Amino acid sequence: MKKFLQNKKLLTTFVVVIVFFAVLGGSVSLRNKRNTPLLIQSFGNDVVALGARIINVPVGLISGGLTNVNDILNAQNENDYLKKQVTDLGQTKAQNQALRAENKQLKAAIKIKNTLTDYNTIIASVVSRSNDTWSDVLVIDKGSASGIKKNQAVMSDGGVIGRVIEANAASAKVELLTTTDKSANRFAVQAKASNGKVVHGIITVNSDSSLAFSQVNDNLKLKPGTAVYTSGMGGNSPKGLLIGTVTKTMKDQFGLSNLINIKPAGDLDNPSVVSVIVRKVAN
Amino acid sequence: MRFLRKWVLAIALFLTLAFDGSLSFYMHQVLTFKSYSTGSFFLPIAIMLIALFDDVNSKEIWLAFFTGLVADCFFLGILGVNLVFLPLASWLCQKIARFWPETFWARLIIIIIGCVAFQIWNWGILRIVGLAVVPINQLVGSLVLTAVWSIPFFFVSYWIWGNLAQSYPFLIDLDAYRQ
Repeated sequence: MKKFLQNKKLLTTFVVVIVFFAVLGGSVSLRNKRNTPLLIQSFGNDVVALGARIINVPVGLISGGLTNVNDILNAQNENDYLKKQVTDLGQTKAQNQALRAENKQLKAAIKIKNTLTDYNTIIASVVSRSNDTWSDVLVIDKGSASGIKKNQAVMSDGGVIGRVIEANAASAKVELLTTTDKSANRFAVQAKASNGKVVHGIITVNSDSSLAFSQVNDNLKLKPGTAVYTSGMGGNSPKGLLIGTVTKTMKDQFGLSNLINIKPAGDLDNPSVVSVIVRKVAN
Repeated sequence: MRFLRKWVLAIALFLTLAFDGSLSFYMHQVLTFKSYSTGSFFLPIAIMLIALFDDVNSKEIWLAFFTGLVADCFFLGILGVNLVFLPLASWLCQKIARFWPETFWARLIIIIIGCVAFQIWNWGILRIVGLAVVPINQLVGSLVLTAVWSIPFFFVSYWIWGNLAQSYPFLIDLDAYRQ
């Protein structure tokens, strides 16, 4: 012990390692527990986000040019598909309007103001992505000043892509659904089985980074193509946000519950514009 | 504006930090192959190149430390990944630069090893804290991808950081020596 205390290099290394683990553990704990980051951290993040916005202008122009070429090449196929969709759209729109009016009347009749399906959206642009390989974190250009709070759901291209994990004043971090973060808040979801029964579960991630609908409370099979929506349970996101569609159903490694693979509906690879979902019903 | 000359490296690193984030976003699909992926590592490459070009300025280790601090806060929200790796890489590269050949290809080897080490460090730290639990076979595949991608990143940044590190050393006014 005396030798150890006299060896300055060894002692310094020991102290540095302890300080490192303390800082690492402390920052992880702060990240998970605090609803808003420290003021200095929030300010620093906003300054870098501003820099990222400036850098994005030339980078986006070059990238946008390449994407445009790809879009032109796919235009014919897209056009054919959209023509088919448009024929159904008029009918769906009319039906939707009638249902909305009926829903409003029924809510007024039983004096309900907001339900789990009611929400507002905040539109934001993605300015950055974490530069490491393993954490799926995006940075968007709206923050708490625009009404964004921790744990709100984020959508892009009609499907949920993740959740807000940190809201700075003018920027926010979004953790994608595909994250393998053990402390991530998982989405509570539901889907309708072929017999009409509603099956509940949560969204998890497989080892190959694909999405799965697990901890299903029922042994009912879901057919491929079945839509999976948020259930509104868990207190953070509203009910009825599309997560994706079922691709195949199998048993988990213990053979006890169903593990259902899901194809995400949202754009997880290149979501340039996102909608942050603000639930109307209080948590 | 003369005082800004001493801060050119810091400003350039700040822009590189923002650029890394933008590039990781726009090039995400290009940087991914099957289930393996890599990131935009311009920032660690910049830190290592600065240290290789200027092995006497110890202030650059502090510059790497503060760059790591900002990068960790911005990208991950936890402290420890860049905060430790960047100053450590800067210090090690300064030591290596004293005996390593000052040639383009010799420095490329250091950068490839550095990027692979950064990837392993990232994987290890994120696994310890549970922020990303990725199997080891995925890490091995990603290391190959990282080594391959670090070559074009090195080609793009070599002359930029070479000129900046030699013409604008951090917190040193070269004009004071010229007068």
